[in-house]
Amino acid sequence: MRHERNFAEGREENGLPAERERPVPVLEVRNLKVSYSASGPQILKGIDFAVDGDDFCAVIGPSGAGKSTLIRCVNRLVEASDGDIILFGQDVRKLNGGELRRMRRRIGMIFQEFNLVNRMSVMDNVLSGRLGYTGAFRSLFKVFPREDIERALELLERVGLQDHVDKRADELSGGQRQRVGIARALMQKPEILLLDEPTSALDPKISRDVMRLIKELAREFRVPVLCNIHDVQLALETCNRIIGLQDGYKKFDGPAEGMRKQDLDEIYAMEVL
Amino acid sequence: MTAISADGHMPAPVRRWSRYKHPRSTIRFAVLIAVLAFLSWSIAFLNIDLYRIIGAFPRLWEILATRYFPPDIDYVLDDSFLHSVLRTIEMSLLGGFFGVVLAIPLAWMAARNITISRRIAYPLGRFAIMGSRSIHETIWTILFVTVLGFGMLAGTLALTVFCVGFAGKLFADELEAIDMGPVEALRSVGASNLQVFQYAVLPQIRVAFTGIAIYTWDVAFRAATVVGFFGGGGMGWYLKRTTQQLENTRVAAILLTIIVLVLLAELASGWLRHRIAKMR
Repeated sequence: MRHERNFAEGREENGLPAERERPVPVLEVRNLKVSYSASGPQILKGIDFAVDGDDFCAVIGPSGAGKSTLIRCVNRLVEASDGDIILFGQDVRKLNGGELRRMRRRIGMIFQEFNLVNRMSVMDNVLSGRLGYTGAFRSLFKVFPREDIERALELLERVGLQDHVDKRADELSGGQRQRVGIARALMQKPEILLLDEPTSALDPKISRDVMRLIKELAREFRVPVLCNIHDVQLALETCNRIIGLQDGYKKFDGPAEGMRKQDLDEIYAMEVL
Repeated sequence: MTAISADGHMPAPVRRWSRYKHPRSTIRFAVLIAVLAFLSWSIAFLNIDLYRIIGAFPRLWEILATRYFPPDIDYVLDDSFLHSVLRTIEMSLLGGFFGVVLAIPLAWMAARNITISRRIAYPLGRFAIMGSRSIHETIWTILFVTVLGFGMLAGTLALTVFCVGFAGKLFADELEAIDMGPVEALRSVGASNLQVFQYAVLPQIRVAFTGIAIYTWDVAFRAATVVGFFGGGGMGWYLKRTTQQLENTRVAAILLTIIVLVLLAELASGWLRHRIAKMR
């Protein structure tokens, strides 16, 4: 497909080879510790893991285990207190303002509550995924380059929203809104996708549809995915790798097929009921 | 915990609950009593004579009827006075416009959730808005008149400062109540601060801001009638001259004009804001 080629080119520009097998992991996290205040409790207590170029990696665990915090540390929506986060060979924690913005535009993110701008059209929501690459003057007058507009229309077609381009985001159903969120993230031509509970606000059937769509697109564009999800069944169905968190510690890390019942019991051991 | 045995050998524990828990409820009650006590003490201290208050109304009526009636309508229909009315409206529009334009960036700085920097911009924005608010518009007029001399410029500046304080506070409150989800999403896309403001914040507050801007103009118009009294230009100056010369029927006519105009401004702004609120 056309944008697949574009994507591969974009990746070479950034100095990353497009091969499937890569010796160096895309993301490497070492000894990650997070506490929201100096005196407060530690949410993550020393996490190590790596994500490879073809991973669809799920982070599972009970509520309050630190799943969301872990994902948000990668693009620094949450600031870590200790440890290293090496993404595309750069230490994310050491980036300054401008470097962080250039790094963030290479990271696509999909949110639990979609985080669309409700009073803006579907098209503008998708186009806003390109803002990191759009100059101040262009964005001020909302004049996006022709290739961005073409890509937005193509992506909207891919997620099945070609008939809703000019609707306001709040006119759509939950599943449709998350599809807009997916298109916005893919607008960035991301080199990694972070999913923060992408299906929690959706019903079980639509959850499966959305996850299938994300998986399909991630494979097509060869984007590694780090996905935090509380539905274990859905995680085992979609992901090839599972990281299990419990109370800020990593309790499991391995292929989805290797997951046994007792591993799950251990991850969810703290949970009452 | 004591379990309730099924065969009734052990008595079931008595379950107790009271809406009023000791320390919290007692403190609340004490505070309420203290406030009421202070209020009644203040009233007693004022030494209010009920008969004088009741007697004041007939006297007020008598004075109005004998000295201020009939209002000198010809005076307010005079060309020079009508010009001053027009200038008052101009001042309120200019002051309102510049005030709102200045208030938007200041409110952005002074909104805790989306400010550019919490250490520098936030206190600066807060201080600017608070400073404009804490000094009354008549005092601003007197200050600007002493610096710039009599006339519309001083009045317009005083109204601008007043509007910065008035609209800035309301804008900042509105900004602090926005949904942070889209802001987070656009930050994660790598958008700059200005882009985040334009694409994630502005769509959420555009309607509310328009309503506040119109309301600001309405309040600025009311303030503009007073600004003239202290030399800031507009119809207030006529009010000052006629009161000082004890031309009571003219004062009555001017006051009536102000009441009618403020009423009209309020009706217009209310109607406009109602129309805009529907666009949400």
